[in-house]
Amino acid sequence: MKTKILIFLFFAVATSLFATKEVSAQGQSDPWTPQQLLAPADLAKVLNNPKSPQPLVFSIGMQAVIKGSVDIGPVMVPDNLNTLKQKLGKLQKNAQIVVYCGCCPFSRCPNVRPAMALLKDMRFTNYKLLNLPQNVKVDWIDKGYPMAE
Amino acid sequence: MRTLILFVALLLFGSTISTLSAQTTGLEPGNKAPEIKLPTLKGDTVALSTLKGKLVLIDFWGTWCSPCVQEQSELAKLYRKYKLAAFTNGKGFEIYGVSLDVKKSNWENFINTNKIDWIQVSDLKFWRSPVAKTYNIQGLPFNVLIDGNGIILAKNLHGIDLEKGIARFLHKE
Repeated sequence: MKTKILIFLFFAVATSLFATKEVSAQGQSDPWTPQQLLAPADLAKVLNNPKSPQPLVFSIGMQAVIKGSVDIGPVMVPDNLNTLKQKLGKLQKNAQIVVYCGCCPFSRCPNVRPAMALLKDMRFTNYKLLNLPQNVKVDWIDKGYPMAE
Repeated sequence: MRTLILFVALLLFGSTISTLSAQTTGLEPGNKAPEIKLPTLKGDTVALSTLKGKLVLIDFWGTWCSPCVQEQSELAKLYRKYKLAAFTNGKGFEIYGVSLDVKKSNWENFINTNKIDWIQVSDLKFWRSPVAKTYNIQGLPFNVLIDGNGIILAKNLHGIDLEKGIARFLHKE
């Protein structure tokens, strides 16, 4: 009986330690807050309604798949990050900006962090990261949301 | 007597249905893998169906996908090891690499630098490639193992499971 309790306690402690570690790792590495994630359905709604104020949408990944988005290219490449910096430099700090990549889940994406870090460094106040948890196919194309020509 | 006729009829109906479903094009093991016809680096089209008779791994990947890139050296080892092997349902092993790249230069450089010598095709359409839709790909890397008749044997095997999945079909003397 004592052994069983010990085994249970061991697993309980191990699980809680693991969980704590994961949360803190994500918190440290992501230069965005949960409030800065924009749901694809919300962006699709805005893009489908020309009367609603349109944000500036930047593709900071492989391809501008989303309707009206500006193709910067993968910002893991310093030249592309510079291009983004130049384009952002011409905007008001309170401009409504959305960035997306959509190659892979955020945990593996090499582009979302440099873009969001740049927006933060440049002190923009109204920018969002499009929340594509899997990729732009599953979370945008397959949903039938508006696409670039 | 009537019951017997009904029984035989049902049996026949059942076997016809099961034969049909084995030939149905689909994405589950036992289904016929959907056809893919895409251009190679040189621009000529290679259809998946031309590999009939071989055990084939359809490897969906992209140079922008880090786990896919890491997997390529493993695929090279498997290719060398099993290329000429005899399988229970195919003679020889081939890899049909389908890249979801966008820029031809990225794709080409990677293939040349890593001396990839198996079949490589791409329409350079990233996640907009019709083949991503046909194969209902949810993420990369993704692969499908098919036999000499183009029937799906397994899906999304990686690491040790991939080699085990291939070796399982080796022809035993």
